[in-house]
Amino acid sequence: MSPRRRIVSLVLCLLAASTGCKKEQPAATPPASDARPSSDKPTVGLVLGLGGRGDHAFNDSALRGLELWAAGVKYEKGGYQQASSSERRSSLEPDLTARAQELDPLGITPVVLQSRVAEDYEPNLQLLAEQQVSLAMGVGFMLENAVEQVARRNPKLPFLLVDSPLLDAQGRALSLPNVRTVIFREEEGCFLAGALAGLVTKTGRVGMVGGMRIPLVQRYEAGFRAGVAATNPKATVLVNYTGSFTDFALGKQVGQDLLLKNTDVLFAAAGVDGLGAIQAVKEAREAGRSVYVIGVDSDPSHLAPQAVLSAVLKRVDLVVYEAIRDQRQGRLQGGNLSLGLREGGIALAPVRLDFPGRQDALRTVDALRARIISGELKVPLP
Amino acid sequence: MLEVLHSLLFSTLDAAPALVFAALGAMLSERAGVVSVGVEGMMRTGAFCAAVAALVMPTPLAVLVGMVAGAGLAAVHGFLSIRWRSDQVVSGMALNLVAMAGGTFLLESLFGPNGTPAITQLSRWNVPALAHVPLLGALVGHAAPTYLALTLPFAFHLLLSRTPLGLRLRAVGDKPHAVATLGLSVSGLRWAAVLGGGLMAGLGGAVLSTAVLDRFEQHTPAGLGFMALAAMVFGRWTPLGAFAAALFFAFGNALRIGLASSAPWLLELVPQGFLLALPYLLTLLVLALQGQRGHAPAALGTPYEQESR
Repeated sequence: MSPRRRIVSLVLCLLAASTGCKKEQPAATPPASDARPSSDKPTVGLVLGLGGRGDHAFNDSALRGLELWAAGVKYEKGGYQQASSSERRSSLEPDLTARAQELDPLGITPVVLQSRVAEDYEPNLQLLAEQQVSLAMGVGFMLENAVEQVARRNPKLPFLLVDSPLLDAQGRALSLPNVRTVIFREEEGCFLAGALAGLVTKTGRVGMVGGMRIPLVQRYEAGFRAGVAATNPKATVLVNYTGSFTDFALGKQVGQDLLLKNTDVLFAAAGVDGLGAIQAVKEAREAGRSVYVIGVDSDPSHLAPQAVLSAVLKRVDLVVYEAIRDQRQGRLQGGNLSLGLREGGIALAPVRLDFPGRQDALRTVDALRARIISGELKVPLP
Repeated sequence: MLEVLHSLLFSTLDAAPALVFAALGAMLSERAGVVSVGVEGMMRTGAFCAAVAALVMPTPLAVLVGMVAGAGLAAVHGFLSIRWRSDQVVSGMALNLVAMAGGTFLLESLFGPNGTPAITQLSRWNVPALAHVPLLGALVGHAAPTYLALTLPFAFHLLLSRTPLGLRLRAVGDKPHAVATLGLSVSGLRWAAVLGGGLMAGLGGAVLSTAVLDRFEQHTPAGLGFMALAAMVFGRWTPLGAFAAALFFAFGNALRIGLASSAPWLLELVPQGFLLALPYLLTLLVLALQGQRGHAPAALGTPYEQESR
């Protein structure tokens, strides 16, 4: 091998190792404390979106449904450990504690593939099909095309796509018999977040930090604006998009900008960028301002306990768990599901902070929630 | 109007330091003739090590640890490109990949994927009396790196243009053989520049996890290292130029953020995508206006071999 060729092959190896699929847990490795060989259990595959494990949001929620709830394991120190039932129970937020007995482990082994770039989605899904998983799942609307392609190629394998219906080239929804798609009516949760923000604000200005300005996030915006208008019609809503989902420094810059413009409640709906916005609020609090932040997807209150007012929870974990359960019971069918406050797919995280007028504010928000669930109140779409 | 300018200034000053340090680091290494594509990886290493160190020691010390870690990765680059004369771009890219995957691996095996535990942030210089004064108030409320980033480029400028060492560093990037004929060590000077560049890139990374955030987040630095390279090129491989370019990028971002929230009606007229592209459009404009003279060091990317001519 000539030196040059050696260098080229070295680079190719590095590229393959880092940009290709990163397999976090080979299906054949049994968890350390699990006596039964896991190869006996059926495997369920999950392809993560770009934010990946540790995004405190969408992907982590899907992983909770797959690993902690369906498989009964936790990912720690680079491998799976058996999770105790108390750990499982403590992962249930108040909107789910009533259903705790329904969320028993399903005896499956998870296979999780991380995607580094959008081009990884399709090969990762195809890899799952070749690994003969019993169910292949993709979380994130950006996987729509990849799921459709791979599902057509593997008509016997069931798929779950979270956050988008299947779309044809003209953008019309279509359905495949082996693909369940789930979408959320996020605007309902965002409406409640906006209502809460409108009740909490003292300056009469509330802000929203969005990620990319895509139809999904614009639905968040529409719901949030309508919610603010419902409880505080005079309030000004400042909305700013970062244009990314992976850059916390940018999110912080946007958050600081909104705070400097005298907003005192921020709605951070921007993936990893949202973490930066939460940091901006946390620092503003430390500098003595009374400001709050509302998160999305999963509750970020452990990051800034003094600053996080609430969060619009998107129960991706529940959707993932239920798809696995239905598949185990042979009830998984193709088609599209739409989940909102009524179905428990969207929820508002408990408000843990105290603020003036808390009781009344929470009562108002509860009343609005009831009106949305009963269908009396329709949350507008953009 | 004043409110808009105030927040523009504050935002620029708060976001720029990491970019300024990394651009200075890349500039130092490249002025001595060693391509510095690995800045992104060095920043990531610095950010990670600083956050881990801050768990057990005061944060300012942890920043130093982050700098040393950045220099450690730069030492690998130096070893490959100076000692073994390998392709400097390949070596730098390989280090980026190693730092990318290694950072994730270490993070997950030491702490789990959600980032390191929270650390004590570098303290901010809050002056409540000034905070509400328009414009002047935007100068306070930042952490130490901001003020360092405003002074260090001038120190680098003096170093490169007014000291014998600076002359030698520049010479080794342009005509290493001339330096060698004076009895100076080409590889010694290049090593100094590469390690110095690593320290600066490590500092840039450390700023991200100790001042911008209060922990290491797994996407750090999310492409900022490549922005720093762009700032260096844009600044014509000079300290003050790189400084101005880094400030310009940060300002461009701040501008489009500020415009979007202060003038929402603008979004009705101008598509969002245009605003997102604004910093880059401004860059293109300035590049077009400043002409096309090459400014890269003459021996950039060429390993030094005594026998070569």
